[in-house]
Amino acid sequence: MSKLMTIHLKVWRQASATAEGRFADYTVPNVNPHMSFLEMLDVLNENLTLSGEDPVEFDHDCREGICGSCGIMINGQAHGPNARTATCQLHMRDYSDGDTIVIEPWRAKAFPVIRDLVVDRAPFDRIMSAGGYVSVNSGAAPDANAIPVPKNSVDEAFDYAACIGCGACVAACPNSSASLFTGAKVSHLALLPQGSPERKERVTAMVTQMAEEGFGDCSNHAECEAVCPKGISITAIALMRREYVKAAFGRQ
Amino acid sequence: MADKRVDLKSFSGSQVGKKILTGITGLGLTLFVLMHMVGNLSFFSPDEQAYNAYAHKLMSLGPLLWAVEIGLLAFVLVHIVLGVRIYLGKRAARPVDYQTYRTVGGASKQSVASRTMIWTGVILGVFLVFHILSFKYGPGVDDGYVTTLNGEEVRDLRRLMVEKFQEPLYAFGYPIVMLLLGFHLRHGIWSALQSLGAVKPAWSPVIYSVAAVIGALIAIGFLVLPLWIFFGGGA
Amino acid sequence: MSLDAKVPAGPIADKWDNYKNTTRLVNPANKRKYTVIVVGTGLAGGSAAATLGELGYNVKAFTILDSPRRAHSIAAQGGINAAKNYPNDGDSIWRLFYDTVKGGDYRSREANVYRLAQISNTIIDQCVAQGVPFAREYGGLLDNRSFGGAQVSRTFYARGQTGQQLLLGAYQAMSRQIEAGQVEMFSRREMLDLVIEDGRATGIVARNLVDGKIERHSADAVLLCTGGYGNVYYLSTNAKNSNVTAAWRCYKRGAYFANPCFTQIHPTCIPVSGDYQSKLTLMSESLRNDGRVWVPKNAGDTRRPQDIPEDERDYYLERRYPSFGNLVPRDVASRAAKKETDAGRGVGETQLAVYLDFADSINRLGRDTIEARYGNLFEMYQRITDENPYEVPMRIFPAVHYTMGGLWVDYELQSTVPGLFVLGEANYSDHGANRLGASALMQGLADGYFVIPYTLGNYLAGITPGTAGDVSGEAFRSAEEEATDRIQKLLNVNGSRTIMDFHRSLGKLVWDHIGMARNADGLRLAMDEIRDLREQFWQDVRVPGENSTYNKSLEFAGRVADFLELGELMARDALEREESCGGHFREEYTSPEGEAMRRDDEFAYSAAWEFNGTPRDAGLHKEQLEFENVKLTTRSYK
Repeated sequence: MSKLMTIHLKVWRQASATAEGRFADYTVPNVNPHMSFLEMLDVLNENLTLSGEDPVEFDHDCREGICGSCGIMINGQAHGPNARTATCQLHMRDYSDGDTIVIEPWRAKAFPVIRDLVVDRAPFDRIMSAGGYVSVNSGAAPDANAIPVPKNSVDEAFDYAACIGCGACVAACPNSSASLFTGAKVSHLALLPQGSPERKERVTAMVTQMAEEGFGDCSNHAECEAVCPKGISITAIALMRREYVKAAFGRQ
Repeated sequence: MADKRVDLKSFSGSQVGKKILTGITGLGLTLFVLMHMVGNLSFFSPDEQAYNAYAHKLMSLGPLLWAVEIGLLAFVLVHIVLGVRIYLGKRAARPVDYQTYRTVGGASKQSVASRTMIWTGVILGVFLVFHILSFKYGPGVDDGYVTTLNGEEVRDLRRLMVEKFQEPLYAFGYPIVMLLLGFHLRHGIWSALQSLGAVKPAWSPVIYSVAAVIGALIAIGFLVLPLWIFFGGGA
Repeated sequence: MSLDAKVPAGPIADKWDNYKNTTRLVNPANKRKYTVIVVGTGLAGGSAAATLGELGYNVKAFTILDSPRRAHSIAAQGGINAAKNYPNDGDSIWRLFYDTVKGGDYRSREANVYRLAQISNTIIDQCVAQGVPFAREYGGLLDNRSFGGAQVSRTFYARGQTGQQLLLGAYQAMSRQIEAGQVEMFSRREMLDLVIEDGRATGIVARNLVDGKIERHSADAVLLCTGGYGNVYYLSTNAKNSNVTAAWRCYKRGAYFANPCFTQIHPTCIPVSGDYQSKLTLMSESLRNDGRVWVPKNAGDTRRPQDIPEDERDYYLERRYPSFGNLVPRDVASRAAKKETDAGRGVGETQLAVYLDFADSINRLGRDTIEARYGNLFEMYQRITDENPYEVPMRIFPAVHYTMGGLWVDYELQSTVPGLFVLGEANYSDHGANRLGASALMQGLADGYFVIPYTLGNYLAGITPGTAGDVSGEAFRSAEEEATDRIQKLLNVNGSRTIMDFHRSLGKLVWDHIGMARNADGLRLAMDEIRDLREQFWQDVRVPGENSTYNKSLEFAGRVADFLELGELMARDALEREESCGGHFREEYTSPEGEAMRRDDEFAYSAAWEFNGTPRDAGLHKEQLEFENVKLTTRSYK
């Protein structure tokens, strides 16, 4: 049986988008090191509920690092200290008895707080709607093996397609830039023959939408790559820029 | 998807265009600074007049010099305008800051250098004005700073430099600014190459290190001269 | 009401073509006059919304999550089946059909399954065209792997994230329609009721989860694509927000709920480690391609796995099922694991686990190959358990994963409420009593991309455009009032136990009595205890916060309340079905070798339950299953 821990939390509480926020201090006793971070918050919320306080709201769903729902700043780091780890995959064994953990929501103008640690990431959906797709109607596709695709192209495309849309890249970026998110989708589709016909329109539309949503410019801090739960490389951003330049100055 | 064409105006205002133009102007200015540094180092030549000869040669380029100067000015202005816009954009993009924030390390290229680009940039901009006023528009032939080079009377820039760097403000102010330049280049060179898409993932650590080395070399190349003069060299 | 499955006439291979050739069509100019509501944006809902938008219908799509891209389809790991026969190993539409019917232990409708197999190939084509990065071989062509319950390699995959890539494909296709104005997206909305007017579904009542406002939405048809109800067990591989509420409200409005007791317990999940556990994590079935399942031969052997010599290990799946070995279907593998742990041969701290060992494969193929195939799964395992599966065998145990039961639908995917169509896991259709691996993704996308566009058209062609419900009408008003009352009632209890506490208690009851093994006494007990728990819930639950703000506890409270009803119906259904089939294992009905014993003479039917007050009063309707093409045999994987 693992030794139980006491964990102190400083959690951002904000009743609604327009309300003033503040930090609240809580202590969670009897934390099992095998608990996930979110399970520790579950315990906190159970305690809060029984003591008549409102639980801390946070988004979560699959709890296995793939849906992209969860995402909080933990001691100033998006999804916490571990590489390639979403908040839900973080375990309390990474902390010690008596630790104090600061928990904040993603902060960006484009991601307004809805409540406590819950933010609105709808701008990501709008960037996708602007062009993050291949225009093929259901039923209009040729045989799946009609177009061979080199294995290394697919493998690289997959690396970018693995994005879970959690928003950690924006949250951790000193500039609140969405370049990694946008670049990942541009790169995924640009690397495949199926995505090629619309590559110019796609990159132009997505880059334009990204700026309209109020995200900052990329300054190549590469913090996004470091916090990305899927480890998506900033090469995606370089590829996006190359695609954009080609769209602007290449042959029409 | 909407068929939106990109023209030069929308390009230069786009997030991609801004970074690419910042990168190109930055690299251009880096190249200039590198040449400037090499020129400065001629001060250390055993030939006492080598520095004045180099300065004179530049001055006698005439229209070509003008063209280069106008080009440099344009690069500087574009670089500054974009840098400031990016900074303001970044401020606007996060109206409420984190109470606690720190890098996770690993793949991150975040550093003191990368986070202070705007401030090192602003200081370099102010310094640039001061520097040009001090030297380019400082005392010249008419003020008695004359020397004879191959029988021709030319501006004695070497003397001006020695005099200036004997003052503590110049002797220590310049090296400090040059260190900041090194910092600016430490992130700037890497960032420009990344913006221009020149960085393959495999080369990334190499380029990142090379940028640091170039930044350090340029800073050192500049700052040795004032210190050397202040501590009695070149008199 | 008698259940009419509306299976088209003709030989099985021609039924779908016959249907398509004779179905009514909506002409392009009229399509824009119809509005269709799609609830849920997973593989089924996302693909349906995209396709209907492309066709020109006005679509209103709803998700409880903040973005359609987060639907739980995203977590499917292993792959998607199709009868392409690219590996040339003898696959065909017929074989996929046959394997699926047999895998489902002969409790699915032949015609639906055959159509699914026919459509399977087109799905792969569609997804590739969308840019789904399926695994490929060095020649640039698509790769396949094998999965449980099949002797051919017909599973297409994208590393261990096939569901994610397919869902993003559907999400992107839907995003395109959002941009085009054909699909209007409503995120963070929970459907709380179905509105029925003049005997047909004409809209829904939904709660905006951000501000608590109840919204009324009308449409010419409603598509329910809300996934499965595995979270009734509290611990399952389902996402935390997955729930039965939308389907349950439809049930209470007259849609029959079919085979609720058919739940899939997946054999390869990471075992429970403590009471605080909030969910379970699946390890893809694909691992059984290269992993060998074993336990120590002697009960109570607590040595470390590496210290147990080869001849003291029991590779029980290989021993009992030599022809399928580690690749037996899920229900068989799960039950076999339970048998071992019941006999005291379980491993690990809790003794509720068996080993899944890769040592042989690593020796044979090299660590690099294993890493290329399963790297992300191994990483996931290590992250959760803090153990390195390259060095010590994984510990696995069965966990609730998928629900074959769901709202009853006919061949057109229409429920017993006209105008209410049910797609994907939310319906009961294609998997019978047990779903084979890599079939859920196939079914969700088949329903959304290729079935509903035809069958919905057939329905709408009979509806005058523009007669969709009037949201100010009585039906909408009373539905909204009921939803509001219920929310208020939940908030007013203000008792002493948390929602999670009740959910855990329910989960334990359902797992103990309606889990991997069931018997009449346990099921009767479960019915009573679930009823009692439900009564306690409404007297003693504490729901914090208020209605007018974002309040996840309130959302969960409503869902747990519905699970507390569903659980009792599951027990009732399981009690009624006096046979063992697929995932439904009644201890009273086993063969002498301990295998499941079906009783086709009496139970070759789908049980469709009609709401009638409390779950124990639900009315049973039977859809007799006709097997004209597949011979009913005892399922054998020996």
